[in-house]
Amino acid sequence: MSHNKRIELSRRSVIKGGLLLGTVAAIGLMPIKLLRAEETVKENAEPKTKKQIGFSYDEAKCIKCENCVRICQETYKWEADSPWRKLLRNEKGDALSMSCNHCADPACAKVCPVNAYTKRESDGVVIQDSSKCVGCGYCLYACPYHAPHIQKKTGAVSKCHFCYKLQDSGSGPMCVGVCPTQALTMGNMKELSQQGNLNYKGLPNPKITNPSMIAIPK
Amino acid sequence: MGHWGWLIAIYLFLGGLGAGAYLTSFAAEKGFLGKKTNLNRVGYYVSAPIVAFGALLLITDLRQGLKKPWLIINMFLNFSSVMTWGIYILTAFIFVAFIKAFFVWNKKQAPDVLSYIGAILALATAAYTGMLLAVVEGVPFWNSYLMPVVFVVSALSTGLSLTSLLAHFFEKHQVHEERVSQVHLWLVSMEIISITAFFALIYSGGQGAVAMVSANLLLTESLALPFWLLLILAGLVGPLVFYVQQSRRQKKAPLAMKEQNLSENADMPAGVNQGASAKSQNALLLCDGAVMVGGLTLRCLIVFAALPVWNGLLS
Repeated sequence: MSHNKRIELSRRSVIKGGLLLGTVAAIGLMPIKLLRAEETVKENAEPKTKKQIGFSYDEAKCIKCENCVRICQETYKWEADSPWRKLLRNEKGDALSMSCNHCADPACAKVCPVNAYTKRESDGVVIQDSSKCVGCGYCLYACPYHAPHIQKKTGAVSKCHFCYKLQDSGSGPMCVGVCPTQALTMGNMKELSQQGNLNYKGLPNPKITNPSMIAIPK
Repeated sequence: MGHWGWLIAIYLFLGGLGAGAYLTSFAAEKGFLGKKTNLNRVGYYVSAPIVAFGALLLITDLRQGLKKPWLIINMFLNFSSVMTWGIYILTAFIFVAFIKAFFVWNKKQAPDVLSYIGAILALATAAYTGMLLAVVEGVPFWNSYLMPVVFVVSALSTGLSLTSLLAHFFEKHQVHEERVSQVHLWLVSMEIISITAFFALIYSGGQGAVAMVSANLLLTESLALPFWLLLILAGLVGPLVFYVQQSRRQKKAPLAMKEQNLSENADMPAGVNQGASAKSQNALLLCDGAVMVGGLTLRCLIVFAALPVWNGLLS
């Protein structure tokens, strides 16, 4: 009798153990698959917002004056270590003016625990609300383009918001307005994506976040 | 690039450790760790405080959130963020584990459902610490299916070690169940296999060149010393050899072991046997310590070896 009971118990334990193991597998593996699957679905379904605006950079036209960077800093007063816009250069003389790319699939918005990021339905601009940010740094790891930075003084993340207030009042972003040669322009991604992409000189694979920016090499 | 360092690494370690401790006591309570066991309580006692302390470290690592703590409550908001999942899982786990510990402390039978929910939340906690990193596509080294697997196995192993250590010092009756060594042998083997698979996957090229550069940091470059010495040698191979030896010894002389247990319980140990047993007992404690050092090293190395998918420069 007692012998039978022991066997029954161990059998039950085995089933329970199996259930627990199954849970580990489910918790550990399923969400990644789900997230990945979600991404592929997103990639295939073309427009994510009603409209998606983006930047275009034409290297041949750029005279590397850095006016775009300067006006951005003067307007939004970001710290030098935590820039919203940068003019990247290499020894070969190549350049790229880049800020946040207002990605179609913004990794920052996905990981931010406090929902500080919103992607506007009207134009696809990704806006980060610094007043909500707790400064956990998760988005800094998630963004492949190093767009979000923590400002030392506030301890909060901030990044380019495409001068959305200016845009709402009818004018364009400061950086585009100040560019003397129209190397940096903006437009609707529907048209821009016909002219190029951001597969540019060592930049990460655009498939990760679908950036709303194109760069045309000289 | 991010600023995660020691605090986050220790947080990830403690999350796993607390979860593992709960699961150890849970397993002991359910009879998976031998008929006679002293591991069925301490794990419950320490699990919630350890995870809570880890969560405190996470909060200490915040920037603006530390200055304006009322913002932290919003960390429950974004359901697509693994960090938000973690906040829910940790909160629930700490809560349930405290209640369970309270029952055990008062020598009352906790409702079965509570223990099982706690165990599932413990697994979720351990898995979450890996998932937090695994979903970051911006860091190819982390972006691996095997990351949560490695972390869960390490969590179970370190949790078992911590519980054994604490039971040795704080529980009155001592038992040396060979089952515990067998389970630990199995866990350490699993960890070696999963870490090997983790690196194999990276070197097979699936995660890109940057992931390999990160892996090189651990295997041959700046982080190689702690990797080989603290994680592989002290934390894995050393314990593996010891557990293998021990299970062999126990197989050879199961009767002697039993007698020894009896005599120890009766506080009347016999000379020679006792000397040998004290030695192996010390080695066992050392081994448990080494497993935990290895677990902490693992979290630190993984966090420190994070390289962004793009270094921010034009090529």
